[in-house]
Amino acid sequence: MDHLFYFFREVRWQDLLDIALNSYILFRLYVLFRGTSAFRVLVGIAIFWISHKLALSLGLVVTSWVIQGITLVAAVIIVVIFRNEIRSVLQAKNLKSILWGFPRGAEEAPAENVAEALFELAQSGNGALLILPGKEDLSEAVHSGIPWQGLVSKEMIMTVFWRDNPVHDGAAVVRGRQVDEVGVILPLSHRDDLPSSYGTRHRAALGLAERTDALILVVSEERGTVSAAKSSQLWEIKNKEELLEIIEKHVGATISWGRTRKDKLELGLAAVLSVFLIIAVWSTFTRGVDTLVSMDIPVEYMNRPPEMEILDTSVNAVRLEISGSGALLRRIQPEQVSVKLDLSKGVPGSNPFTMTPESVSLPPGVLLKDVKPPVVEVTLDRTVKKDLPIQVDWVGKLQEPYVIAQVKIDPPRVQVSGSARVLSGISAIYTEKVSVDHLNRSGTLSAKLVPSHASLKLAQDKVTIEYTVKERTP
Amino acid sequence: MSKKKPCFLFALLCISLLLGGKVLSQEAPSASPAPSAERLILVQATMCASLKEGNPCNPGAVFPVSQGKVLCFSSFDPVPRKTIIYHSWFHRDVLITRQKFTLTPPRWSSYSTIQLREADKGPWRVEITDQDARILEVLRFSITD
Repeated sequence: MDHLFYFFREVRWQDLLDIALNSYILFRLYVLFRGTSAFRVLVGIAIFWISHKLALSLGLVVTSWVIQGITLVAAVIIVVIFRNEIRSVLQAKNLKSILWGFPRGAEEAPAENVAEALFELAQSGNGALLILPGKEDLSEAVHSGIPWQGLVSKEMIMTVFWRDNPVHDGAAVVRGRQVDEVGVILPLSHRDDLPSSYGTRHRAALGLAERTDALILVVSEERGTVSAAKSSQLWEIKNKEELLEIIEKHVGATISWGRTRKDKLELGLAAVLSVFLIIAVWSTFTRGVDTLVSMDIPVEYMNRPPEMEILDTSVNAVRLEISGSGALLRRIQPEQVSVKLDLSKGVPGSNPFTMTPESVSLPPGVLLKDVKPPVVEVTLDRTVKKDLPIQVDWVGKLQEPYVIAQVKIDPPRVQVSGSARVLSGISAIYTEKVSVDHLNRSGTLSAKLVPSHASLKLAQDKVTIEYTVKERTP
Repeated sequence: MSKKKPCFLFALLCISLLLGGKVLSQEAPSASPAPSAERLILVQATMCASLKEGNPCNPGAVFPVSQGKVLCFSSFDPVPRKTIIYHSWFHRDVLITRQKFTLTPPRWSSYSTIQLREADKGPWRVEITDQDARILEVLRFSITD
């Protein structure tokens, strides 16, 4: 129960988006592949995967190992064996139908009217090309349709394809009980194994059948035959009854309403299952608390007030104890973890900052168990400016007869900005070490200034030193 | 810095509290009270290796540690009334020793000294301050090899 509460308390909006996106992808895969052999194999692989997890949780080491092996091999095999089917599914659909197109149920068509009209056209020596769309959108595959929207009847179809009708050469699209469009241009098939007796109408029918799941019916003007094209196949239909059966099988005319409802139920169930499956996978992957690791992470001090300086910190890095699934923790990179302390509310002096979960940034799915030390002391101080004298830091050994009698520095003072506390203990800024080893006559030289504390900023960093060398009196 | 006047007499030699510094002063033959408007004036302050006849010898800014000691010489004229001054020796910014001198009218000279060790190499300064902690002079020098 505690785990369940913890689970929901820890879910972020990113997690919800993560689940939603992957559920949708899974659902789309189902929509695209349902009814295909590849889909059935995919379901089999999913069952194997679940079995593997189950065996693992039960401690069945060898079983889980074997199932995992089979699952991996099966995943490779599915791509090899079903590559043609996968390709045809993906090629036949446009981007819209792959990403968000929703399959429509096969539309009811007055099959008897269509069958009678086509055979009558065949007998009268008129050609015809009739499209009964399936579940896929045809708009990407066909062109130049003229809206017709006439109620389907035998006479209507015969009128459309009567040879004196200006649109009789194109195809007619029958949707539901309407002739929706006429004069539609179809893509031609490029297959070279078609009989020479097949003309342009047959190639057009096959071209559309190769690209979509529509049923295309062709009436040959020359031979007076009726043919049907579907799923890249074209075959001749002997009689009206056979045609009627094909049409009814395609559109499911007699049970069309019931089937649509069943489709909706099936898709709804698939959507719900997709969500549950992804939640299960997501939980397994990100919410496993089987591993605990420690990481030393440097602390980043953020939002320091501009008038303040950081004088000191009690630690430079903290030790984080984090938990999560082993898979996640193994992949974690140091740059994915950060510890940031907000100094915006700091005051001059010592500021104890308690480490909170908000201070620690972790990758999704990784939980913070502990921070050591829990409190970080940050000493802040106000930034001030101070005018300080400059002193030369002489080193080396001056030759015996000489003495450096006088030193003048230009400029003699320098403005220094830094922490008030640091500057209060400093009364001079020293130059870099200047050697006296070879000084035997008066002269000048230049030297850099070296601040005694790293946080101090100097208005200038170089000075000129004029020195007077005299001989030592005994 | 003004020259030391020849009529000075060294009257008091003080042993410094921490590092054996000595104070050399010249007592006035008559300690007549100075007018209240008259101020204490530091006429000479210098770092030197030694004293010769009461005068700083080889004043400078760099002294070798092999020299063994270094002196801070200060001379006041006039000294309007009995007063106190301090010589505060700093190695970098760390106070090493503070030596106190009592000045008596009408003039006074004094010196403080430290013994040099290897660890004393680096930049030094001596602050000469009065009894009100006003800095009268800061002398800067270095101890080298």
